[in-house]
Amino acid sequence: MAQKENEKQSETEELRIGVFICHCGLNIASVLDIKELVEFSKTLPDVAYVKDNRYTCADPGQEEIRNAIKEYKLNRVIVAACSPRLHEPTFRRTVSEADLNPFLFEMANIREFSSWCHPNTPKEATEKAKDLIKMAVAKARLLRPLETMEVPVTNKALVIGGGIAGMNTALDLAEMGFKVYLLEKDESIGGHMAQLDKTFPTLDCSLCIEGPKMVDVGRHPNIEIIAYADLLSVSGYIGNFKVKIRKNPRYVIAENCTGCSECKEVCPIEYPNEWDMSLGVRQAISIPFDQAVPLVYTINMDYCIECYKCVDACGARQAINFDQQPEEIELEVGAIIVATGYDIYLPYDNPLYGYGKYANVITSLEFERLILAAGPTGGKVVRTSDGQKPHSVAFIQCVGSRDINKYQYCSNFCCMYTLKHVIQLKEKYKEDIEVYVFYMDIRSNFKGYEEFYQRARELGVNFVHGRVSRVFEVPETKNLIVHAEDMALGQPIEVKAEMIVLATAAIPKKGTEETAHILNLTCGADGFFMESHPKLKPIDAPTDGIFLAGACQGPKDIPYCVSQGSGAASRAATVLSKPTWKIEPIIAMVDPDKCRNVKTKCGICAQKCPYGAVKAEEGKPANVITAMCHGCGTCVAECPADAITQMHFTDAQIFAQIRAALETNPEDKILAFLCNWCAYAGADLAGTSRFEYPPTIRPIRVMCSGRVDRDFILEAFRLGAGMVMVGACHLPYDCHYISGNWKMKARMDALAPMLQKLGLSPERFRVEYISAAEGVKFAEVISEMTEQMLALGKDKIKAENEKLRPILENMLKRKKIV
Amino acid sequence: MPLQTLKRDTAEALTLEWVLHIRNYKLALDKNLCVGCQICTLACPKEAIKLEKQPKIPGEKAKHAKVDIDLEKCNFCGICDILCPYGAIKVTVNGKHILSVVEKESFPQLIRDIQVDTSKCPVDCVECKEACPLDLIKVTRLTTDGKVVENVDSLTEKERAKLQVKINIEKERCPCCRICEFKCPEGVMHVRKFFHGKIVIYPEKCPEGCTDCLDICPITGALYLSDKSKKVHVNEMFCTYCGACKVVCPVDEALELKRTKISHTSVSSGAWNKALERLASPIEMTKELKAKGSQKAMESVEKRLGWKVS
Repeated sequence: MAQKENEKQSETEELRIGVFICHCGLNIASVLDIKELVEFSKTLPDVAYVKDNRYTCADPGQEEIRNAIKEYKLNRVIVAACSPRLHEPTFRRTVSEADLNPFLFEMANIREFSSWCHPNTPKEATEKAKDLIKMAVAKARLLRPLETMEVPVTNKALVIGGGIAGMNTALDLAEMGFKVYLLEKDESIGGHMAQLDKTFPTLDCSLCIEGPKMVDVGRHPNIEIIAYADLLSVSGYIGNFKVKIRKNPRYVIAENCTGCSECKEVCPIEYPNEWDMSLGVRQAISIPFDQAVPLVYTINMDYCIECYKCVDACGARQAINFDQQPEEIELEVGAIIVATGYDIYLPYDNPLYGYGKYANVITSLEFERLILAAGPTGGKVVRTSDGQKPHSVAFIQCVGSRDINKYQYCSNFCCMYTLKHVIQLKEKYKEDIEVYVFYMDIRSNFKGYEEFYQRARELGVNFVHGRVSRVFEVPETKNLIVHAEDMALGQPIEVKAEMIVLATAAIPKKGTEETAHILNLTCGADGFFMESHPKLKPIDAPTDGIFLAGACQGPKDIPYCVSQGSGAASRAATVLSKPTWKIEPIIAMVDPDKCRNVKTKCGICAQKCPYGAVKAEEGKPANVITAMCHGCGTCVAECPADAITQMHFTDAQIFAQIRAALETNPEDKILAFLCNWCAYAGADLAGTSRFEYPPTIRPIRVMCSGRVDRDFILEAFRLGAGMVMVGACHLPYDCHYISGNWKMKARMDALAPMLQKLGLSPERFRVEYISAAEGVKFAEVISEMTEQMLALGKDKIKAENEKLRPILENMLKRKKIV
Repeated sequence: MPLQTLKRDTAEALTLEWVLHIRNYKLALDKNLCVGCQICTLACPKEAIKLEKQPKIPGEKAKHAKVDIDLEKCNFCGICDILCPYGAIKVTVNGKHILSVVEKESFPQLIRDIQVDTSKCPVDCVECKEACPLDLIKVTRLTTDGKVVENVDSLTEKERAKLQVKINIEKERCPCCRICEFKCPEGVMHVRKFFHGKIVIYPEKCPEGCTDCLDICPITGALYLSDKSKKVHVNEMFCTYCGACKVVCPVDEALELKRTKISHTSVSSGAWNKALERLASPIEMTKELKAKGSQKAMESVEKRLGWKVS
């Protein structure tokens, strides 16, 4: 409401713009003619006050702004200084201290974009700075006050996945005092760690250290474990998620089950235990392993014959209920932590190693279950074929990993667990066993890991540096012959082994794509979940309020998972600890009167939104869920009816900037739309690095290249722009808004051939992908475009423009833009 | 090695296997013994067994239906093994024929009640051996010192009087048809059927000239072709109620077969109740439950079927 009132007020009141031009010491003043800029600014419409200062960002400079707002009743403020990426937040604070809405402030970047990159052409640089100020004034005249919105926060969390990462997140959050729901797909929490025998590099028993943690999780008053359940759907937004979960029937009433195992004793049916990698069996009513948490038995109806012997055995406890049905529950949480973990690749499809074909070829996880004292063989490493202990074992590394035909990435922990396995074998069977490791590189780069490698070498393990080319089985003995290349010898070798253990790749958990779909997350090329930023936001998912922990984001070992779990807890706490969450008002809004979805089935905006923040129900106008909108503006550019507006980057504001930029000598200028996070930052870097390029460019900042409407391009050429460029983040994954750059690309790929057909020289319209680190590239692109523009010549450009103008005018008239 | 699930189908046998690192589960169906009755199909708690009718080739005898087992559904519980009247299915774990469902009393065994009093046997009589339609009976004569005598005729009267007759029956494969009992001139054999019931062929519905049921019936004499009516008739005395005939009968309701009682060792098991329900009828099953007085089981049946056990 307040916003509407503010808007009304600002529409009726007379515009009084203050322009503050910064010398930045000599950074700006040594190149640009400040006096000329001041005089020029005074001539611009609605400018009521112009002032230059040595350092606008310093306290006296800020004080001057605050005073001028009051004294001259300024209601729009422009600072012509450095990049808004640097000081926009500073000056927004300054103006709001003088009771001016912070969104009535605009910056003209005359340092990074002019003085620093055109030091040798001060005259042209000053002209460019004038345009930059003119563009800022043009936009400022249309600025509207915006209010930061606040949404309430439910201070409960959902952790998806009860492995070591998820457990740590849950425990940390619970200790901070937040209620945590821990959702686990399987019957018990514990994850892969509970399947392991020992942990590297200390060789302490895995379940001995994880077991107590599992019990802590089970007993914590703030944690509710929802095991044997599936995630069905998630709606809502940061602070306010609604989660639907299906609890699958165990046919055992959890409250009544005491975990006594009497039912298991009488059960006649056995089936392969997946927990044991199907090396062993479990009863149709059983728990996957003795330390399971929650300690509740489960009947597997795929195998149960319903003899009801368990019912008799359970007796008065009455814990067994064959009529149990799936149950759907709904939770409300403020933050979600995804810790769904990984799967192990089973190389059935790789004929090289004979997995699934030769009896004595196993994976490392199978080996783990063999050497584990509580495993199906009681800790005896024996062969499938004859139940005998092998006298020689070959370990093959990077099966599936680091393989461009399979999984290109390194699976992170295989080197270390193989070292663990070989040390265990050597220490258990001593001279009685010969051990080979075929490896590409041994990666042991963490605390105590290299020493562990050294220990393995000292124990007399044969490390062979080279890829295995083929494994053959000797049919009579079921022994195996490994053919490999020994890179140290530089020749092929043959090794006989009685057992082969394959270190197979860690791959995305089955169902990752479905989870991604439910939570609106993205997966990288490797199939694991993508973080918001690989360096600075490695735990945040691109959707606000959702965080990633553990191997679901990429293969990780235990200490890394534990730390990331704790990291995710603290990130989630930044949301959960607040009663309300502030949302940036630079969001999209739909004008229900213009929206076509009321009459025809449109919904383009809903399809294109990278965040699923736009909902378009049939027969109703589309609706943007404010808290989910990230403000990229892609939907705004896509809307065929121009019914959507992006606050602070409205069509009118951007058209005003285009027109201001191209008012004089348009055919000498390159009009550029730069996305805030990559291309604009790259241009900033060109400035800060003092890369010189011709002062031909007139940049317009948008939050995302997805915001660049085709009408912007048309308008620019209608006005006679020499060249037009769109600068975006690199494909495929650099976009700050997941996929805005892809949407822009699709749009521009369609537009470019149309313009060429109309007679535009192809080089005059260009899409460039420039990262924040590519200052050089930005400078090069502008130099190149300027050369092309000069090569084409003003006359040719003018001639083309003459031909284009009436057509473009018609197109834009139809949309009532002209 | 990862879990291997195998299925092999040869002319001789159908074999299903789970090969685990530490255990091997195997189900083998001997196709030479299988008669295509529906017992295993009905009894399987996982509905893993299907019968495939064999197309009839004109001019040839009908063939019994073929059994197929779904590897995805089979859990190697061995119930088919227990109930097969002809002993055609063997389930083994690590090569041993020990069935957990029997060991843990969650499924009964059929009672093949065959009493043989060889003291009455004439030394040179092999009537039972010759009568057995499945060739399961072996008659041997032993001297006092335990030697097997091959040729009785070569002995003197005195020697013959001293001989002992021994009758070996392959009990596991015996469907208890009672033919041996009937044919025995001295009343040596006493056989009780394990399936009891009723079988009727309605002549008005039975197509003339069709002998499909007779073609496949494994028990010689249980069905016969009447010279007069040219239709197949039943001799209930020898019928084992296995139902192979019912499977191949081309006309609905021409052949009616009902099992009413099954002789089995005593257990209390939901799995058996279900099997009984399918092999006989829900009524027979509740009768048995009532006899056992298992109130709780009855209640659950009532709940499931939606009618009152009276």
